[in-house]
Amino acid sequence: MSGRKIGEVILDLKNITLRFGGVTALEDISFDVREHEVRAIIGPNGAGKSSMLNVINGVYRPQEGDIILRGEHHANMDSYGAAKAGLARTFQNIALFKGMSVLDNIMTGRNLKMKANLLQQAVWFGPAQREELEHREKVEEIIDFLEIQHIRKTPVGRLPYGLQKRVDLARALAMEPQILLLDEPMAGMNVEEKQDMSRFILDVNDQFGTTVVLIEHDMGVVMDISDRVVVLDYGKKIGDGTPDEVRANPDVISAYLGASH
Amino acid sequence: MAFFLETLLGGLMSGMLYSLVALGFVLIYKASGVFNFAQGAMVLFAALSMARFSEWIPQWLGMENLFLANLLAFVVSVAVMFVVAWLIERLVLRHLVNQEGATLLMATLGIAYFLDGVGQTIFGSDIYKIDVGMPKEPVFLLESIFQGGILINKEDFIAAFVSAMLVVALSIFFQKTSTGRALRAVADDHQAAQSIGIPLNRIWVIVWCVAGITALVAGIIWGSKLGAQFSLSTVALRALPVVILGGLTSIPGAIIGGLIIGVGEKLSEVFLGPYVGGGIEIWFAYMLALIFLLFRPQGLFGEKIIDRV
Amino acid sequence: MAVTHTERAATPLDTFPRLLLNHAATRGDRPATREKYLGIWQTWNWSQVAGEVRAIASGLAELGFKRGDNLAIIGDNRPRLYWSMCAAQMLGGVPVPMYQDAVAAEMAFVLTDGEIRFAIVEDQEQVDKLLEIKDQCPSLQHILYDDPRGMRHYTQTYLQGLDEVVAMGRIHDKNQPDFIPSEVALGSAEDVAVMLYTSGTTGKPKGVCLTHGTFIAAATSGVDFDHLTEQEDILSYLPMAWVGDHLFSYAQALVAGFTINCPESGDTVMTDLREIGPTYYFAPPRVFENLLTTVMIRMEDAGALKRNMFHYFMAVAKRCGSDILDAKPNVSTADRLLYALGNVLIYGPLRNVLGMSRIRVAYTAGAAIGPDLFRFYRSIGVNLKQLYGATETCAAVCLQPDREIKFDSVGKPAPGVEVKIADNGEVLVRGKLLLKEYYRRPKDTAEAIDAEGWFHTGDAGFFDDDGHLKIIDRAKDVGKLADGAIFAPNYIENKLKFFQYIKEAVCFGHDRDMVCAFINIDVGAVGNWAERRGLPYSGYTDLAAKSEVLELIRECVEQVNADLSHDVMVAETQVHRFLILHKELDPDDDELTRTRKVRRGFVAEKYQVLIDALYTGKTSQFIETQVKFEDGRSGMVSADLAICEVKTFPVMKKAA
Repeated sequence: MSGRKIGEVILDLKNITLRFGGVTALEDISFDVREHEVRAIIGPNGAGKSSMLNVINGVYRPQEGDIILRGEHHANMDSYGAAKAGLARTFQNIALFKGMSVLDNIMTGRNLKMKANLLQQAVWFGPAQREELEHREKVEEIIDFLEIQHIRKTPVGRLPYGLQKRVDLARALAMEPQILLLDEPMAGMNVEEKQDMSRFILDVNDQFGTTVVLIEHDMGVVMDISDRVVVLDYGKKIGDGTPDEVRANPDVISAYLGASH
Repeated sequence: MAFFLETLLGGLMSGMLYSLVALGFVLIYKASGVFNFAQGAMVLFAALSMARFSEWIPQWLGMENLFLANLLAFVVSVAVMFVVAWLIERLVLRHLVNQEGATLLMATLGIAYFLDGVGQTIFGSDIYKIDVGMPKEPVFLLESIFQGGILINKEDFIAAFVSAMLVVALSIFFQKTSTGRALRAVADDHQAAQSIGIPLNRIWVIVWCVAGITALVAGIIWGSKLGAQFSLSTVALRALPVVILGGLTSIPGAIIGGLIIGVGEKLSEVFLGPYVGGGIEIWFAYMLALIFLLFRPQGLFGEKIIDRV
Repeated sequence: MAVTHTERAATPLDTFPRLLLNHAATRGDRPATREKYLGIWQTWNWSQVAGEVRAIASGLAELGFKRGDNLAIIGDNRPRLYWSMCAAQMLGGVPVPMYQDAVAAEMAFVLTDGEIRFAIVEDQEQVDKLLEIKDQCPSLQHILYDDPRGMRHYTQTYLQGLDEVVAMGRIHDKNQPDFIPSEVALGSAEDVAVMLYTSGTTGKPKGVCLTHGTFIAAATSGVDFDHLTEQEDILSYLPMAWVGDHLFSYAQALVAGFTINCPESGDTVMTDLREIGPTYYFAPPRVFENLLTTVMIRMEDAGALKRNMFHYFMAVAKRCGSDILDAKPNVSTADRLLYALGNVLIYGPLRNVLGMSRIRVAYTAGAAIGPDLFRFYRSIGVNLKQLYGATETCAAVCLQPDREIKFDSVGKPAPGVEVKIADNGEVLVRGKLLLKEYYRRPKDTAEAIDAEGWFHTGDAGFFDDDGHLKIIDRAKDVGKLADGAIFAPNYIENKLKFFQYIKEAVCFGHDRDMVCAFINIDVGAVGNWAERRGLPYSGYTDLAAKSEVLELIRECVEQVNADLSHDVMVAETQVHRFLILHKELDPDDDELTRTRKVRRGFVAEKYQVLIDALYTGKTSQFIETQVKFEDGRSGMVSADLAICEVKTFPVMKKAA
């Protein structure tokens, strides 16, 4: 991992508080993400991990706190805005377009980069077609990268779970994001699939320098691939640091051992 | 035999028109999950716009060329439908994102009444003529096989051809272009589409606009047969059984459903009518839809929703 | 063919590098190699390939590769790996292709045994494996990788990208244009061309040394036999370490000058097959079996009309298809018409789906093919034939001539090959195509080739009245039941494996009073079957334990018994009891060889407790087994296996 340099803070979350009616999902949480690092958010079920990711991604707007992305305030962005700002995400329960082929799914990830207007598309030949081919090339590289050539034309709905997760990652990668948000990328996978996924995440981080923020429930895998880890429990931050520091943190130990989630 | 074929062809022609209206339903349903009750009102609105502009434009510009006038009127009507789509998104849909299906349904009912009212206020409430210069004279086909041949209207023939071309164009648009892909993506999963940078608002405007254009084409064809008048908005009710038959999510379903109902109506009227006292044409479509709802609720081509364990 | 005999006489084309340079000169523009990359088929013609090979060879020479060195080649079928073989041969070295899915320990053995200094590998995965065992292989000095992905942070000096080596080689070749030709001129037909390690059904793998002369003779005999030309297209997807792939994708391609096509990845073979539409095709029975299983699954899922049509026309094909293919006169006009209709409706589309529309000749070898499976392909118009051979004989001992196809024979000896049957039933071979020796194993060489020059194949067989060879089983596997009846386990297993639901079977019965069997279900086919019945399951072990599945398999076994009872020779060996194994037999656990043949002895030993349970009349047995994952880690699988009794049938005398 020697060639990768961790840079300045790229994403800074300050005092985030998120409430749903009377329930407080996140309470006064602050942490930052540095450029090129793999940053994990872990915690038992119901700790508020997914809410945290949804806040970063603009699905939820926090009642209090600030999100600073590359020095700019972004507390009011929606998920389309987040995508434009260079954030891509995957979903815990896989939100792929089930009826469409793998290729089409990944191609949708290029949408923001497509410039041809509706009229050019209606004509199809010319600029629109050239653009389509350029993007197809990029997408093919991602297909090669994630080793999913064999399912290119398969409708996503027919794929087994592990492969759908990979397609989900492929679609996010197609956006060429600066920050990649992964929502439990390894949930429900067997040992072999988990290892594949870890390898892909590290490769992405290494090859493209993409900053990765990932949520995981299972501590084991995350500790191996993360540079720094935030631990949440019941909506509060109880630990933050390198995997070793977090592992030694007594609050973290009791949260994981004490709670039989 | 020749009579049978004539009826059949007649059925196919009117079926094609049902298909066009049904297509509008399907497009909007696919892209936004909204069952658009305003589709009929859009047909009327578009037809009125076409009729009046083709009348007004020669007056304003003082020109005589019928073709040019119609062309200009068509372009203006397309623009009108675009504005309508844009307003609907801006004023209604945007504020109802992620609401219950029933709420959206009610909203489209509201849009329907609004369009009916505003349309007649702007364009007037008489019966207006749409004359796009379609030949009216009948043609005789297959004279060598049947005595006297089969009589069809040239006008119907052209209308069917235009509809078919529109359907083909739409299918290509959906399958091959990046916007088409984005439309399908939005139809599949709003939230995911948004998070990968597909602008939901723009997509909705496009869908409603496309639905508006199909409404315009349907309105022109229908209007040139019957005149642009209020009863056009009830055409939508005819298209309802078509989408039930074909499946709400299927473009080919809308086409074939339309053809089946068109043909079914005509054949049953002619061949069963004498036994049950006529008037079958009016309720045949609904009867068929009812049967489908009972035995195959997803329609002929719709997606069967299975909950896997 | 463009190469005439006079041309051959002028420059003796007796080594593979000479063949390559000759193709570059005589048919430089013809496609030689294709590979699908980023979704598009890339093509290299013969002169481009010759250039690439020269560059690799020059680069290797720069690194110090010299005459007599061995070059390990490890990876999937990639063009540059094939070219590297020829590059090594140009310099008078010997390529040693190795199985890419071998675990590190197996590789260490071959690398040490083969005294390998240079290795060219496909990617990071293989590099990691080699790094793991580098300390155990003192001879290994250079590792070159084809695909640079993920390799940026490797700092070891002995690691180099093939790209750099090729770039270096191009400069070298440009500066010293005479170097390569002079090296090629030094080569001789007597040099060892390739070293292929036997899969090792018995004992440790042995390096089989085959010379240029031998392999070219074997390839030429096959090319002449089937009239292959430069127009052929083949898909190269079988392990490069297997003699079959080496014969078809390397030796015959270089002899006849046809095109090899490398698939995009191991998982895309079905699609690539359809896109390429090979004219010449080679696959072990397992692949044909898998293809058929896929088709059968699809047919089960198809609508009733399609399904019925399929079954109806398959019955027609079974009745007359292979006779029509063999141009036999005894087919009725009605059947011919029905077959022609079937060809339009079913067989044609089916061949298309299988990627076999353009096939002129297809071969299967490597294991006995089930007669029913064989008949299926021939009946739909695929000219599938069997050949028989071994690594030690360049794969080609016997071939089935066109129009002389017998379902249960492997054909007649190839031109120039002598075959005889020893007293113990073992098949012996003599001729030009025999190995030179086992690498550094004079004792084994002496054992395998006797004083009169006969090679002992280890297979049991006999010649029928028409001079066709029939192989029954491995000589050492053929046994006798306690009552003296002949027990050929493979024969029964093949019958079992023809059922799409059964992936693997192991039969026991030598010195016993009855035959019992282990079964591996096919997760794809049975899983599909279970899904259609709404049976939820979580994986192989769970699925295998379902009582419904046990019942399904019992019906299959019963049908095999009924079938066996028709044939006096084997009627005694009907399967009385069986169980479904709790895990799939796996090469990583040493239960299968890398070519996926069952290692019978090992399996019997490992699962002794299950065999005991089968023969002591128990109705179930608990078992716990260690399994290895691909990364070398291991875990445990355990289950309570139900043992099932099967109905057997009285011996039927054929009413003739």
